[in-house]
Amino acid sequence: MEKLFAPKKPQPDKKLGIYVHIPFCRSKCQYCDFYSFGGSRDKYLVDGYLQALVTHIKETAERCPEYVVDTVYFGGGTPSFFGADNLRRIFAEILANFRVMRDAEVTYEANPDSITDQQLKKLRREGFNRISIGVQSDDDEMLKKLGRPHNYEQAVQAVEKARAAGFNNISLDLMYGLPNQTCEQWQKTLTHVLELKPEHFSCYGLKVEEGTPLWDYKDCVLLPDDEAQADMYLFAVDTLKNAGYGQYEISNFAKRGHMSQHNLKYWLGEEYIGFGPSAASDFGGMRYTNKADIHAYIEGVLTHGAILDECEQIPMRERAGEYVMLRLRTCLGIEEEEYEKNYLMPFKPLKKLLEPMAEQGLCELEEGRWVLTPKGFLLSNQIIGELQLAQSKSTPLAKKR
Amino acid sequence: MTDLSHIRNFSIVAHIDHGKSTLADRLLEECNTIDKREMENQILDSMELERERGITIKARAVRLNYKADDGEDYVLNLIDTPGHVDFNYEVSRSLTACEGAILVVDASQGIEAQTLANTYLAVDNGLEVLPVINKIDLPAARPQEVKAEIEDVIGIPAEDAPEISAKNGINIRSVLEMVVKGVPAPEGDREAPLQALIFDSQYDSYRGVIVYVRVKNGTVRPGMDIRMMGTGAEYKVVECGYLSPKAMVPAQELAAGEVGYITASIKTISDTRVGDTVTGVLNPSSEALPGYKTVQPMVFSGVYPADGSKYGDLRDALEKLKLNDASMTYEQENSIALGFGFRCGFLGLLHMEIIMERLEREFNLDLITTAPNVVYRVDKLNGETVNVYTPLNYPDPEEIDQAYEPFVKASIITPPDYVGNIMELCQERRGEFRDMNYLDQSRVELRYFMPLNEIIYDFFDALKSRTRGYGSLDYEMDEYRPSKLVKLDILLNGDLIDALSFILFRDNAYARARKICEKLKENIPRQMFEIPVQAAIGGKVIARETIKALRKDVLAKCYGGDITRKKKLLEKQKEGKKRMRTFGTVSVPSEAFMAVLKMDE
Repeated sequence: MEKLFAPKKPQPDKKLGIYVHIPFCRSKCQYCDFYSFGGSRDKYLVDGYLQALVTHIKETAERCPEYVVDTVYFGGGTPSFFGADNLRRIFAEILANFRVMRDAEVTYEANPDSITDQQLKKLRREGFNRISIGVQSDDDEMLKKLGRPHNYEQAVQAVEKARAAGFNNISLDLMYGLPNQTCEQWQKTLTHVLELKPEHFSCYGLKVEEGTPLWDYKDCVLLPDDEAQADMYLFAVDTLKNAGYGQYEISNFAKRGHMSQHNLKYWLGEEYIGFGPSAASDFGGMRYTNKADIHAYIEGVLTHGAILDECEQIPMRERAGEYVMLRLRTCLGIEEEEYEKNYLMPFKPLKKLLEPMAEQGLCELEEGRWVLTPKGFLLSNQIIGELQLAQSKSTPLAKKR
Repeated sequence: MTDLSHIRNFSIVAHIDHGKSTLADRLLEECNTIDKREMENQILDSMELERERGITIKARAVRLNYKADDGEDYVLNLIDTPGHVDFNYEVSRSLTACEGAILVVDASQGIEAQTLANTYLAVDNGLEVLPVINKIDLPAARPQEVKAEIEDVIGIPAEDAPEISAKNGINIRSVLEMVVKGVPAPEGDREAPLQALIFDSQYDSYRGVIVYVRVKNGTVRPGMDIRMMGTGAEYKVVECGYLSPKAMVPAQELAAGEVGYITASIKTISDTRVGDTVTGVLNPSSEALPGYKTVQPMVFSGVYPADGSKYGDLRDALEKLKLNDASMTYEQENSIALGFGFRCGFLGLLHMEIIMERLEREFNLDLITTAPNVVYRVDKLNGETVNVYTPLNYPDPEEIDQAYEPFVKASIITPPDYVGNIMELCQERRGEFRDMNYLDQSRVELRYFMPLNEIIYDFFDALKSRTRGYGSLDYEMDEYRPSKLVKLDILLNGDLIDALSFILFRDNAYARARKICEKLKENIPRQMFEIPVQAAIGGKVIARETIKALRKDVLAKCYGGDITRKKKLLEKQKEGKKRMRTFGTVSVPSEAFMAVLKMDE
């Protein structure tokens, strides 16, 4: 294994995150609006897809020799359902073409029904060191209603198996605000999952997205109202904090040293490249998204045709807006000097808004950095909106010079 | 040039929905003025808004060439007119350009309020009124009864009135024959000094102001120097011609008796006033034609750009629209809450709604409109009398000796079944019963004195709903009467929003105040803090609601692919914000202003 990793070079190597999208699932969940499809893994399609990914990875690696990869993330879809051998094959290709750091964080997403001991062992041996398990709820009835292909007991076992296979960085995905869910039920869920002692939690409020089966029923589904969802959220933040999980992003909580390095890249505006249909990249000042169509992706890659859906260069002013939008999602928040230096924009107009918000308990100044409180996170769209509005009205500092 | 004896100038008048525009379509077809291929419904209603609503807002002139049964070729100038009470003014202007009017009456509905009002307008203008019974193919048609009704109620002969169906093209030719035989040929001296009455005008971005005229005497030609007698402005005619439905057709000249347009590279909009007389510079007429009586707007409302920086655009738009609709007035106004805007005068609420929509569509503006009000009159203790056009200028209660509000004479025509409902409605609206008479067995006319204030909000809708759509309304200004009035102020988060203040009858204040607070609560989105909504009279709060603080507005997930999506979402949110006005710390969407006006029962 040692030889596969390139020796760690001294700086100034640039860091890169790699995301691989696996659009295969056992079955499609009622609320899911990611690009994925449920059902069997068609051999022909899987082979075609692997071939396309391999080609795409090789091609891309040639364009970024000055980068070292410090995170790799297999998301989906359901990578665990895709199978250990397929994942290994892709990862091997990444290792062969990119300079991947020896301590890189390598994550795959898994559902309890498609996790096996063998799979876990194979991947762990290959260098995978983090697993994100979709648990969602401890209530089997709810899991069934959501279209999840597993029950809670399977989730408990999955965590035990992962632990046994040597994964010591385990993340669990949870959902709240589910149809018919009460605050008490959610509290019970949290109590149960805490017993599993993972290193990391992601807690998402259910959002009914257009185009999902749940959307069609949205008018008759008894969803908890905003008030109840807000209460559930604040309860989770509090409970997890008391259990030793620090909130480092709106929906993410980790034990010390276990924040998701890969996901942080999204929020800190760092560079990443996405492979596979619907995967997004932010690389070389451009942000682009692959077409959300596996056939178009395979064909595009293999025939050197177009595979992008959207591609835009982000000007500095917009980067400043993204800084506010993304950083305020995290516990890092935003900082005056950093902001003015990087974007040549005055921080004063933002401060003028942040100060009264602090009085309302929506944000606070921590060691010079403005961060949102949990109450503020709940209103982050409003807060970010106001800050960006002020931003768009302010004159860049560069002009003043 | 057509001989005077072979010209007929006529308009079509009717109650709304009795089929004027459809009849106009058929007449155009019959005269082959327009290819079948190009034909569409309501062809003269070229404004998008008119087609959508199926009503005529602007009168429109068009020239038809008709070969009559007597073998002669006639030129028929047709002016289609609106039917709604708010647009009476449009009708009366059109009528001065004509010698005759076709009165269209629905064979099943019979005479309605606007049938009467428009007929009287035509008669007052000395026009020959020729009735036509439309929609005879409907199962409920009762042409004979309707004819009798016309003779009894209006007092014009109707035995020979053509029975037609404009929708299905039945007996259309008989209408044209009637026009040729029944409408008097125009009179006028084509050698005399030019006198042409401007009955409409419009701004064209390539040719400047286009004026529509009826030539009464003399002749106008391209190259001729003309003078607007009212304003004294002088121009050289660039082009004159006739109006075909799809285009303007240039002609050598326009002579007495004819209807057409003139362009003269007129840039200054205020130089051409509808109702003014155009004459020649070299051989001027000694006197102007009797113009129009200036119309008095009855309903006033503050109009502000949603985006404060668009004030200039709004001013330009109003100036151009005014040219096309002289019945609207505007004057600069300054609100503490909304900044610079205009106090606009309208003929009625529909008129106001139409103008607002035209401003938004044709000039691409986002507007905030304040609650409409009538013109109140106040005698102050210091002996001064003031007309109050806006609540912003309503005097302090301590300064007021006596306040007055305008009353109208309202006429409501309805089937007898609904008389009880209407009386109840009018009573609720402080109406004073005058009399009631049976037009015939199926029609009753109820006459009331009503405060105009009670009519402008939703009276018409209420009338329609309480008479299953059968009731019709007409009204005219009567007099000012002493009244107990108060000014109701609205406070958001403790700040008085002057643009939301309005004046109302004291006894209605509590109920209205409560409703308005509720409406505002519904229409102002929750914000990051709690917002008290209060209604007060002279500092005393009489109603209160609270908009609870927003607790949750968050995008839970935001990974690689979500970033672009989230940015778009925020962009949209920002756009929405732009359409809101911020008062202190409270953002109020422009719809909230409008919602306050629409009080349902």
